Amino acid sequence: MNAIEITGLYKQFPGKRMTKVDALKGLDLTIAAGEVFGFLGPNGAGKSTTIKLVMGLLRPTSGRAQIMGMDSNQAESRRHVGYLPENPAFYDYLSAEEYISFVGSQFKMEAALLAQRSEDVLKRLDLWDARKRPMRGYSKGMVQRVGLAQALVHDPDVYILDEPMSGLDPIGRALVKDIIFDLKARGKCVFFSTHITDDVEKVCDRVGVINKGELLVVENVETILQRGVQGYSVFVMNPDGAKEELFIEKAHLQAFIQQSVVNQQSIEKIEPRRKDMEAFFLEIVAQ
Amino acid sequence: MTTIIRITLKGIFRDRVFQGIMVTACAFLLIPVIASLSMRQVTELSLTLSLSLISFILLLLAVFLGGTSLWKDIERRYTFSVLGLPLSRQSYMIGRFGGTALFVLLAAAVLGVAAFAVVSYSSAIYPTDRPIVWSTMAICILFDALKYILLIAVAFLFSTVSTSFFLPVFGTIATFLAGGVTQQVFEFVNSPASKALSPLVKKLATILYYLLPNFGAFDLKVNAIYSLPLPFEGLLLTAAYFVVYVGLLLSAAATIFSRREMR
Ligand SMILES: Nc1ncnc2c1ncn2[C@@H]1O[C@H](COP(=O)(O)OP(=O)(O)OP(=O)(O)O)[C@@H](O)[C@H]1O
Ligand SMILES: [Mg+2]
Repeated sequence: MNAIEITGLYKQFPGKRMTKVDALKGLDLTIAAGEVFGFLGPNGAGKSTTIKLVMGLLRPTSGRAQIMGMDSNQAESRRHVGYLPENPAFYDYLSAEEYISFVGSQFKMEAALLAQRSEDVLKRLDLWDARKRPMRGYSKGMVQRVGLAQALVHDPDVYILDEPMSGLDPIGRALVKDIIFDLKARGKCVFFSTHITDDVEKVCDRVGVINKGELLVVENVETILQRGVQGYSVFVMNPDGAKEELFIEKAHLQAFIQQSVVNQQSIEKIEPRRKDMEAFFLEIVAQ
Repeated sequence: MTTIIRITLKGIFRDRVFQGIMVTACAFLLIPVIASLSMRQVTELSLTLSLSLISFILLLLAVFLGGTSLWKDIERRYTFSVLGLPLSRQSYMIGRFGGTALFVLLAAAVLGVAAFAVVSYSSAIYPTDRPIVWSTMAICILFDALKYILLIAVAFLFSTVSTSFFLPVFGTIATFLAGGVTQQVFEFVNSPASKALSPLVKKLATILYYLLPNFGAFDLKVNAIYSLPLPFEGLLLTAAYFVVYVGLLLSAAATIFSRREMR
């Protein structure tokens, strides 16, 4: 079964003076179970709109979204989902610990397991010391961490994260990447939005690029990076001991290596030089 | 849903509105003093003042807690996180309502105990001709609480269609004021004295009478103050009215809220 299935999803918002804003124009997208999918797009592209439609917070103008085969307008479709909203806010009179246990009980977790998992996620997200304080006094990054903790606590199969790294310091960002890696290793599905290409390159299996409400490409990250290889930086040592860095085009690499043997150059290192994800993203969005 | 109720109660206890209102409740301490100034019917007066104070506090709670509960959740974007859980809109809303209603009942019980203390203190010093019937007083407070729970349901219905707190808060106050006089207006319209009124006005008044909640029936203060017997059948009817009316309000609110978009 697919984790997320989006078919012909269309969303119109009422704009100024009777006009309509097309936030999403017929999106089709399928995310398999166990897949890590990066949803990439500039500001206002329609990422959050898509996610809110999938979570049943908005109603589609037409089309539909399903999670684990269940329509998004049913509360039960969210039974196996950990959701992190964009710039999340939680009942600020509760402490992180109280909120996590509230979430756990909504997922009908058994008390002992909940206590254990709650401790795990709070420690993992570095909230352990602050866990008893009301969230009113939390910093932005701490609230974001609570958001991640509450998405993880019930150990769901599907994670829907709207800009999981936003508001986090470099340590937090690295931690989120780590967490996503872990989830991937454990066969979980992660669907997350971002506009930072680097995040996608490191952790995703596939990436979709959306702009102005339209999905422009869906591609394997591997393929993009492969296709992006344009040539190689070759570090050689000449017979006289002098070192040199040469740029060799992809097609010429084989010939160069043979030639270097003839020239008695020794090759120390070969590094692929690629057009990275950032370039890929900018190119597509600019089209 | 029970967890939503629990969370709601926790929120109210930690809320500043609640704490402010509890300070108001300290006015109970003044009641015997004020009542004794009158020199006559001190106990009746302290009973009247106690019941009115309870009514006033419950009204404040109903308007401010009922009118802002959903609005605050939407405004502060708590709905995104909470409705992202496997929780239906209906159970979320009913849970929010249940928590607020339960709190009003609790507050009524606590205030009732305070009123009990105040009145027994007064009656010990200034004995009355007619003994106070405590059960009547308790039932009076209970029906007062039911009245405000009904008002909370009205506030929730307003909240589901509104994007600001303006309609829920002021709409609720307006409903409360109008609902307090519908009975009198209805009786006037159907009396010979209203001949001069145009039939249209009469029709309108009658429609409003059936549409607006009728709070008059919940008022048992006179019975409590003068220890008059309670109209038993009337009370049953009022209780049934309460159940049906709240049921209708909540179903309408739940239907609207479940179609609402969280933007
Ligand atoms: N409630 C709303 N009313 C009207 N228009 C809206 C509403 N929400 C979003 N939009 C419009 O829909 C489009 C997509 O917005 P969306 O929030 O999905 O973007 P996004 O990809 O998440 O951007 P960002 O990276 O800035 O978070 C934008 O043009 C936005 O103006
Ligand atoms: Mg967004």
